[in-house]
Amino acid sequence: MQQRLRRKARSLLEQGQVDWIIGFEPGSLRFTTTPLITKDKDDTDRLVVGSFIVNNLSNFLIELSGRVAIVAKGCDSRSIVSLIQDNKVNREDIVILGVPCPGIIDLSKVEGLVARDRDEIDDIARQDGVVSVRVGGQQREFPAGQVLFDNCLGCELPTPKEYDILLGEATSPIGEPTASQETLARLKDMPPDERWRFWQQEFGRCIRCYACRNVCPACFCKRCFVEESEPQWLLPMPRWQDNLIFQAIRNIHVAGRCTDCGECERACPVNIPLRSLTRDMYDIVADLFQFKSGMDIAAAPLLTAYEVEEAEDLIR
Amino acid sequence: MAGSKKIKKQDLAQLLSQWSQEFSLFVPSRTSGLAEMTEYDGQDISFLGWYRNTIIPPKASFLPHMEEMFSFHRNKQGHQLELPPLEEQKRLIFAIRPCDARALTILDNVFEDTYPDPYYRGRRRRAILVGLGCTNPYDSCFCTSVGSGPSETTGVDIMLTDIGDELVTRGTTKAGEELIAGSGLVKATKADQKRAEQSQEAARQKVTRKVDTRDMASRLQAVFDDRDYWQQIAAKCLSCGICTLLCPTCYCFDINDEGSPEKGTRCRSLDSCAFPVYTKMPMENPRDEKWRRVRNRLCHKYEFYPMLFDTIACTGCGRCIRLCPVNWDITQILEGVPELSQAEGPK
Repeated sequence: MQQRLRRKARSLLEQGQVDWIIGFEPGSLRFTTTPLITKDKDDTDRLVVGSFIVNNLSNFLIELSGRVAIVAKGCDSRSIVSLIQDNKVNREDIVILGVPCPGIIDLSKVEGLVARDRDEIDDIARQDGVVSVRVGGQQREFPAGQVLFDNCLGCELPTPKEYDILLGEATSPIGEPTASQETLARLKDMPPDERWRFWQQEFGRCIRCYACRNVCPACFCKRCFVEESEPQWLLPMPRWQDNLIFQAIRNIHVAGRCTDCGECERACPVNIPLRSLTRDMYDIVADLFQFKSGMDIAAAPLLTAYEVEEAEDLIR
Repeated sequence: MAGSKKIKKQDLAQLLSQWSQEFSLFVPSRTSGLAEMTEYDGQDISFLGWYRNTIIPPKASFLPHMEEMFSFHRNKQGHQLELPPLEEQKRLIFAIRPCDARALTILDNVFEDTYPDPYYRGRRRRAILVGLGCTNPYDSCFCTSVGSGPSETTGVDIMLTDIGDELVTRGTTKAGEELIAGSGLVKATKADQKRAEQSQEAARQKVTRKVDTRDMASRLQAVFDDRDYWQQIAAKCLSCGICTLLCPTCYCFDINDEGSPEKGTRCRSLDSCAFPVYTKMPMENPRDEKWRRVRNRLCHKYEFYPMLFDTIACTGCGRCIRLCPVNWDITQILEGVPELSQAEGPK
């Protein structure tokens, strides 16, 4: 798949079919990849795919001008579709290099299981449903379900539906939706005051780095409400109350756009389980409107499309 | 290492309890859900088992993410200001890593000398830093490339070296020596000192990430105006605030009033040059474009600050590398800054 990707990417640039390639190259740390954004055909030899291509690259699309070929896992392709629906990018300017994805390995989970940091682990290899981890000369095996990202466990679209070139055989979902929503289920079981204390503590750690917002392809506003000073909606000071309000409003703003890609939670440097909030909103949207973002390119965007025959009087 | 003493790890809790009578004592802890320096609870020294470094840099003990500068209210005489207490209890930061202790000396240049800052100084002036040399540096650490090292003593008052079941203890300032002298520790033997030296050398060998920072200020100056170069470097940056807010040497802050013109508080909180609003002004924004912000961050640490204070404002702690969501690696970027041509020469 990797060789095919490199050949395709090179020929797209050589033949002038695209101006840019967005993909992944090996990162500077163990088990890490990093976004590769390039116009240079020789750089395409560094493109990689595999179990560590964590980033959702789609939000780089709106920063580039010209035609762009982008490597997209199933979840990324949903974000791209959502951006197309919102008129942030044009379908004809994008070449989607689809990557069927059996799930991405969550290094934090591996670290927890072997009680070692990632730079102390010698090797992590996946063979279908089993992930073997070599640490201190010892080989340990874990079912993939234990080490993949939570959102991957409940993935609804491992193989992109919207693509120009599919770089491999379609793969089926991991199919562990219960495990995928364990944290959320635990929170829902809590009495409200306990849940309130939980979020108070979690948001007490927030430093307002806005990584959750900046990695999010659905957060594409040129100017975020938190940066408005007249009126000032929210103080920039990282008090837990303001942090919680920021996240609550962000969540409402991405309702109907969030594809449950999990980037917000992954990027958070202080381990706030943000996906519990976005996933709950995702389920509410699915429940209320039978809408799942990025699944159907022909669908109108949920909260920005208007029909004369609207059911609600409110906005008629 | 003449005059070194030592303490058994199993006796550490007792020593810390003793010190916490005199100091507001901070130790590495994970009780909040992530590794940071928190007030010692009187017993938990489990960090000896897991601690490599904290996520939140210890600068937060002196320059917190947010703080009140003063409160105000208006009466017939006009606005009345009330300062919070500035002279706090003496702080002792235990097991600070050499990179982070050195980082505080970099902040001192800004807050102690150039613009004496009563808030920072109030906490910092009488503080004691007890350093713990690294035995297991991360693969992202590069302290040895920026003039430091895993057992460097710049900024610390006492330096500890892990030799297994014991910590070899050495005072590196007068305050540190006095504190040790009054703590009833036993003398380290020659063999202990030898083991400490071996441990330090072994740690130094483990810092394998290297970057050549010679002539870096001149190299950055030479490439400063090359827009294409910086655009390429900045392409994958997300403009989030992780690398700056969690950097032990970044010190920029923002000031906000809360309340009404009649009654309220003026607060400050850390700011980040990665944010477009950082330089937003009524008419324009000189760093609206991402590449200008990325350039600023790098040049501040490796060009502007060294011009002012003759030292690089980066201690190689590697947090920005470990925590970056897109693996934007400052050492790779520095490595790629073009070498000076013969004609340019170092300035």
